Amino acid sequence: MTDKQNNSIVMSLAAATCTLLGTAPAGPVNAQEDPGWNFNTSLLYYGESDGRVQDASLNLLARRSFADDKSLALTLAVDSLTGASANGATPMDVVQTFTSPSGNATYSTPAGEHPLDGTFLDTRVAISASWQQPLGRLYAVNAGLTASGEWDYTHLGGNIGLSRDFNKRNTTVSIGVAFARDNLDPEGGAPVRFAPMLDVGDLSNKMGSQDKDVVDLLLGVTQVVNRNMLVQFNYSYSDSSGYLNDPYKIISIVDPVTGDTVPRIPTPGVAGPSHEFRFESRPEDRAKHSFYGQGKYYWGGRVLDLSYRYMTDDWEIDSHTLDAKLRFPIGDSSYLEPRVRFYSQTEAEFYRASLNDGDPLPQYASSDYRLGNFDAITAGIKYGWKTGSDNDMSVRLEYYVQDGEVPAEQIIGNQSQRDLYPGLEAIIFNFSYGFGK
Amino acid sequence: MSAASAHRPPILRRNDDHWCGDFQAMASPCQLLTEVNSEAHATELLNAVAAEAWRVEGKFSRYVSGNIVADINSSGGLEIEVDDETANLLDFADSLNRMSNRRFDITSGALRKVWKFDGSDRVPAQADIDAVLQVIGWHKIRWKRPILQLRPGMEIDLGGIAKEYAVDRAAGLVREQTDAGSLINFGGDLVVVGKPATGGWRVGIESVDAGENSPDRLIHLRAGALATSGDARRFLLQDGVRYGHVLNPMTGWPVDIAPRSITVAADTCTQAGMLATLAMLRGADAEKFLDQQSVQYWCLR
Repeated sequence: MTDKQNNSIVMSLAAATCTLLGTAPAGPVNAQEDPGWNFNTSLLYYGESDGRVQDASLNLLARRSFADDKSLALTLAVDSLTGASANGATPMDVVQTFTSPSGNATYSTPAGEHPLDGTFLDTRVAISASWQQPLGRLYAVNAGLTASGEWDYTHLGGNIGLSRDFNKRNTTVSIGVAFARDNLDPEGGAPVRFAPMLDVGDLSNKMGSQDKDVVDLLLGVTQVVNRNMLVQFNYSYSDSSGYLNDPYKIISIVDPVTGDTVPRIPTPGVAGPSHEFRFESRPEDRAKHSFYGQGKYYWGGRVLDLSYRYMTDDWEIDSHTLDAKLRFPIGDSSYLEPRVRFYSQTEAEFYRASLNDGDPLPQYASSDYRLGNFDAITAGIKYGWKTGSDNDMSVRLEYYVQDGEVPAEQIIGNQSQRDLYPGLEAIIFNFSYGFGK
Repeated sequence: MSAASAHRPPILRRNDDHWCGDFQAMASPCQLLTEVNSEAHATELLNAVAAEAWRVEGKFSRYVSGNIVADINSSGGLEIEVDDETANLLDFADSLNRMSNRRFDITSGALRKVWKFDGSDRVPAQADIDAVLQVIGWHKIRWKRPILQLRPGMEIDLGGIAKEYAVDRAAGLVREQTDAGSLINFGGDLVVVGKPATGGWRVGIESVDAGENSPDRLIHLRAGALATSGDARRFLLQDGVRYGHVLNPMTGWPVDIAPRSITVAADTCTQAGMLATLAMLRGADAEKFLDQQSVQYWCLR
C-alpha cells in the first residue's frame, strides 16, 4: 500500500465514524504528554565597547516534570568575564597611575580617558535547584536553593513561595521570601571605608573578607483577563545589609578650585598611585521597593508583551524601566520578536563624582557610574524557530547604550571640560536551544 | 437477557474537585468523572452513562444470548434483517475491512477457538488453523443493508468496535445535558466531554510490566479521546517464540512483531480505538502506519 493510500485512512475513518455515530466530533483532540526531562541551553555573549567588560556565558536548565504537576528545575551557569571596568576616578589631562586591587602592581590611564581597572578577570559558576508542587487543589508551593562562586565572591541563598488560585483559576496570588548570604573576599582584602589608595605592597588599607545579607519579599497577582490577555502585578521589597561597597571602586580627591585630582608622590623606590584616591563608602543598609506591572496580549498568533517597573530605595535612587516586545509568527514554525527597553534612574544621594581635598569626609560617597544619574536603551531582535525534531532554537541580538551625567553642582573647575560620566555601549548576542520531551 | 436488572448499581463518590462514578460493564471497570456541581446531576449523568454501556453490551456482546449478534451467529446461512443501529455498525465494519485491506475482520473471532492465549505453549496445528479459516472472511458474506447473510458456520463479533462505540454514545448523552467537564472511561478507552475547568484530565498509560500505580507516561487530555489496543498478558510462548494475541485473519497466525500496546489520541474514542487496532494489525510497521496518519500515539514494545 502506498503512503498516499495509508494517509487517507484517517480521513475515511473520520467519515465512517461520523456516519456511525450520527454526529460530528465535538472538537479536535487536545492531548499533551506530561514531559519528562527537558533542557534549555544558551550561550550568551555580552561585550562592551572600547575593551571594557566582555562576558561569555553558558547556561543550562534541566527541568523534570512529575505526576501531579510536581517539577524540579536545576540550573548551571558558567560566566567568563574579562576586560576592564571604570574604577570611579575622574579623567585627567595627565596620565594617572593606580595600584591594582591586589596591591602588588600598578596600572595607568592615558590623559583624557576614563580610568579603567584592566585587571578585571573572573570566572563565575552558579547553580540552583528548585522544586514546585501543588498543595491541595488551589495552592502551590515552591522552594529553591542557589549558590554561586567566583574568585572573590560566594553566594548562598534559599527561597520559598506559596501561591493560591482564585476565581476559577483566573486569578493567582503569590507570596515569596528569599534569603541570601554573600561573602566578599577580594584579592588583597576588602578596603577600609575611605581608606586612601596606597603604594604597592602596603596593605594597611585592607581588611579581611566581608559579608552581606539580603532578604527579599515578593507579593504578586496574576490575572487572566480573557482568552487573549493576561496581566501581572508584583510588589517586591529587598533589604540588603552588611558590606555593600564595591571593593574595586575609588573616588578622586580633587582641588576644590581647579577640580584637578591632587597629585601624590609615591614613596621613593616604590611604585604607587600618581594622585590621591580613596576607596568608596556606601551605607550598610539598603531597602528597595519595586512595583512591577506586565500585560501580555495575544491575537492572531502575535504576542505583545509590555512591562513597566518602578523602583525606589532609601539611597534615593528611583528608576523606571519600560520594556516592550512584540512576537509575530513567520510561517508555521518560526517567529520574530523585536524588543525595545528604556531605563532611567536618578543618582544615589551619596553619589559624588569626586571629593574636595581639605573638606571633611562625608559619611558616604561613591562615584560608581551605576549609582549615577543615567538613561539606557536596549534595542534588539530575536528570531526563534522549531527544528525538524520539534525542538526550539532562537538567536537574539541586542544593542545597549547607556549614558548619564554628573549633577551640575558637583562639577568643579576644569572638570567642566571633561567627560565625567563613563557611558557605555554593548552588544548582546544570545543563542538558545531547548530540547527534550 | 434482561440486562439492566442484573447489573450492580453504579457508585458515586466525591473526589477532590469532581464527582467520580464507577460501574462494571463489558468486562471492564467503567468510570464517569464529571465537574457538574450537584450530586443529583452527577447521579443522573452516571445512570445514563451506565445504562448506555449496559444497553450496548446487552445488544452487541457475543457473550449475551438472545441478542442480535446471537441471532446472526445462529442464522445457519439464512438471510437475516437487522435494525438500523446494527446496520450502522455492520457498515462501519465493512468500511474498516476495506480500509485495512481485509486485516480488520469481524468474522475472525472463530480463530480464538484454536488460539488460546493463556500464557501456555499450546500453539495450534496448521491443520486446525486451516479448518477455521474456511469460516473466516468478511468478503465471503453478503451484506446489503438491511439484509445480512453469512455462510453456514460463520460468526461475527462486534467486540472490537462496541466498547469505543459505547464510549462515544455515552459521551453524546452527557453532552446533551451539560457543558461541565466530564470524562467517560470504559476500561481505558475514554473521551472528554465539555471543557475541563482545569488544565485537562490526567490520564496515565501504564507500562506493560510496571509495578502498581506507576503510570509510565502521563497525558493531559483537554478534548477528544484516547483508546488503547493490546494486552501484554495475552500471549503464547513456544520454543522461546512469543505469539501475540493479534491475529491476521488471512493467515490465521498472530501478527508478527506487533507492539504490546498502542494508545492513540483522536477526536472520538471510536476513531482512536480503530486506529490503534489497525496499527496493531500492521505488526512491525505499526509506528510507520501511525506516523503516516499523523496521529498522536504511544507505543509500547
